[in-house]
Amino acid sequence: MAEEPAAAGAAHEYPTIDPSFDVVLCGTGLPESVLAAACAAAGKTVLHVDPNPFYGSHYTSIPLLSLASFLSPDPSPSSSTVAAAATSGSHTVVDLHRRTVYSEVETSGAIPELARRFTVDLVGPRVLYCADEAVDLLLRSGGSHHVEFKSVDGGSLLYWEGCLYPVPGSRGAIFSDTTLKHTEKFVAYKFLKVVQEHIAATSASADERGEEEDAAMISEEDLYRPFVEFLNQHSLSAKMRAVVLYAIAMADYDQDGPEPSDKLITTREGIKTIALYLSSIGRFANAEGAFIYPMYGHGELPQAFCRCAAVKGALYVLRMPVAALLMDEEKKHFVGARLASGQDISCKRLIIDPSYKIPTLDVPSDDSNSNFPRSVARGICIFSKSLKQGTSNVLVVFPPKSLEEKQVAAVRLLQLSSNLAVCPSGMFMAYLSTPCTDASAGKHCIKKAIDALFSPQPQDSDGFEGHLESTSESTDDMKPTLIWSCVYVQEITQGTSTSGSSWSCPMPDENLDYRNILESTKKLFADIYPDEEFLPRNSAPVHGDDDSDSAE
Amino acid sequence: MATRRRMLLKVIILGDSGVGKTSLMNQYVNKRFSNQYKATIGADFLTKEVQIDDRLFTLQIWDTAGQERFQSLGVAFYRGADCCVLVYDVNVTKSFEKLNNWREEFLLQASPSDPENFPFVVLGNKIDVDGGNSRTVSEKKAKAWCASKGNIPYFETSAKEGFNVEAAFECIARNAIKNEPEEDMYLPDTIDVGGAGRQQRSSGCEC
Repeated sequence: MAEEPAAAGAAHEYPTIDPSFDVVLCGTGLPESVLAAACAAAGKTVLHVDPNPFYGSHYTSIPLLSLASFLSPDPSPSSSTVAAAATSGSHTVVDLHRRTVYSEVETSGAIPELARRFTVDLVGPRVLYCADEAVDLLLRSGGSHHVEFKSVDGGSLLYWEGCLYPVPGSRGAIFSDTTLKHTEKFVAYKFLKVVQEHIAATSASADERGEEEDAAMISEEDLYRPFVEFLNQHSLSAKMRAVVLYAIAMADYDQDGPEPSDKLITTREGIKTIALYLSSIGRFANAEGAFIYPMYGHGELPQAFCRCAAVKGALYVLRMPVAALLMDEEKKHFVGARLASGQDISCKRLIIDPSYKIPTLDVPSDDSNSNFPRSVARGICIFSKSLKQGTSNVLVVFPPKSLEEKQVAAVRLLQLSSNLAVCPSGMFMAYLSTPCTDASAGKHCIKKAIDALFSPQPQDSDGFEGHLESTSESTDDMKPTLIWSCVYVQEITQGTSTSGSSWSCPMPDENLDYRNILESTKKLFADIYPDEEFLPRNSAPVHGDDDSDSAE
Repeated sequence: MATRRRMLLKVIILGDSGVGKTSLMNQYVNKRFSNQYKATIGADFLTKEVQIDDRLFTLQIWDTAGQERFQSLGVAFYRGADCCVLVYDVNVTKSFEKLNNWREEFLLQASPSDPENFPFVVLGNKIDVDGGNSRTVSEKKAKAWCASKGNIPYFETSAKEGFNVEAAFECIARNAIKNEPEEDMYLPDTIDVGGAGRQQRSSGCEC
């Protein structure tokens, strides 16, 4: 029902769009973009809009100079002329408002030269495992044609007792590691052997599994116990334990902490991540280590999926906010969206960026939103010397308590170089994050980590050339000098469903990879279209051929 | 040089909706034309092997996938283009007037290292329509614009009849090669998760 010619005249240059779609998505973050590609691949008609002039929403990579205004947007006066909850025709119009998802933004230092050539991720620090689901989805959707990657060639480092130690990526690497004591090596080697034999045995199907494999498997009972207990059985040294827990199994919270329960990872979870880590190493011939990073930044990933959706017929309109939602008369379902152009679009399903507040409907809320706020503190640093000599890109993990006694969660840092085309040559960027419930504690922790690895900018009073002799005091003080940094806190929200007609996508989480985000995106899709397959394997578009051969 | 792998050249085609971008690609690559217009669906890019002066190249021609309709092409689309083809419809003045916007949009988004000399090629398409009687943009006018923008090569084409399409794309390929920097591997060690030879592509543009 496309009435409403009233506002159309006022809109300048806003083109008219078809009045009806199966699915309308607002916001082009990674989850929305993957959903758009999946809906389009399932043959649905898709309208995908974004209020910004660029793709990616909270998953984008933006020019350094635009960061401040993105993190602290002007409180946009709801420019919509529509009265809240006005009734027009058969449906009720409810204004849509955005909430603030970033807080405590604090920058220091001078914006570097060539600022235009720095591109900043909003999801950092983040990488893909060579063998993870994100890579698989890119292949299945055809998005892999639009993104190129480079290795995190420096591998991972563990911050331990004030120094950085390499994280071995294989049993062989344990032996060549000169920082380990002989007994440490032996114990670590034995532990990794147990884990690898378990992985090999579980990947064999039940009938081809012999007694030998059965014996190699870790017992069910052990698998459900906390991973830390399993590690304790193997008497790893404290440092190796930290390596396994926080730099390979990627546990977030202190596994020896006083408040256990939900913060402890199980042996099953720990081993799953170790298996992913090990299978990632060597998956691509020219990838060094387990992790890869998209050239030009993470903002390329949503664009790749949007392009796949577009190729399958989805309609894309940037610079187009959704001003209001349309509800049916009983206010039980959403039936469409009013675009900022004034045009009403009817749709069966509405998928919305997490920064929009979805108005409540007159139905009992079914989502189990006992959502106590979850947040992640993030940091961004610019400097001009690699943290690890001779490598471009490197991951650093600060286990809980490594920075100070009250540090409750691990801090992860990812250093990126100009070989990823995210900064000018000779410069480096680092992203840090740590999960937090208290914003100031999270920020404090990020700052501690920055202080641990970088020297502060020289004061203005010092001549800038004079820093060489002035820092002669400690010999190991070869820390890179921080040029610019920004620390802020981001709210994390999960994907949610409202009465089977609208869905909200997850915000970038505190993890290093996209596994949880894609898992919840997949669940959203199953909820949105229970009968459709999620990006079936053959959904990549064919190249080099005309569409006339495909039965339309 | 002899042992060098076949080089991939990325060509993107820009212009208003309905000027015949997809038809031109299809005519060139598949020697096919369909009268039925549908806003582009189904093709990501088309590839064609070309031989230029004894060297083999793979021309990868990228379609806008309809994202041009609301000026919603993302920056990733423009990245690494070796040549940009600007298309207008000689029967629609507005599509000609928009060429300047498309050119500027390209330079802004792709930010090629040498914008002054980045290779563009302009195609005036649909010269077959109504025997040329419905034409609203003269060849002279189009050539004057091309001259004013650093002598952009100009071709008048008919995707429907296949007129001048081959010649236009040969010029496009030659210009794309010219854009190739001497040390051709700006990104020598990127990982292509799809396993296709995308890493062979040089990157004409860096941001």
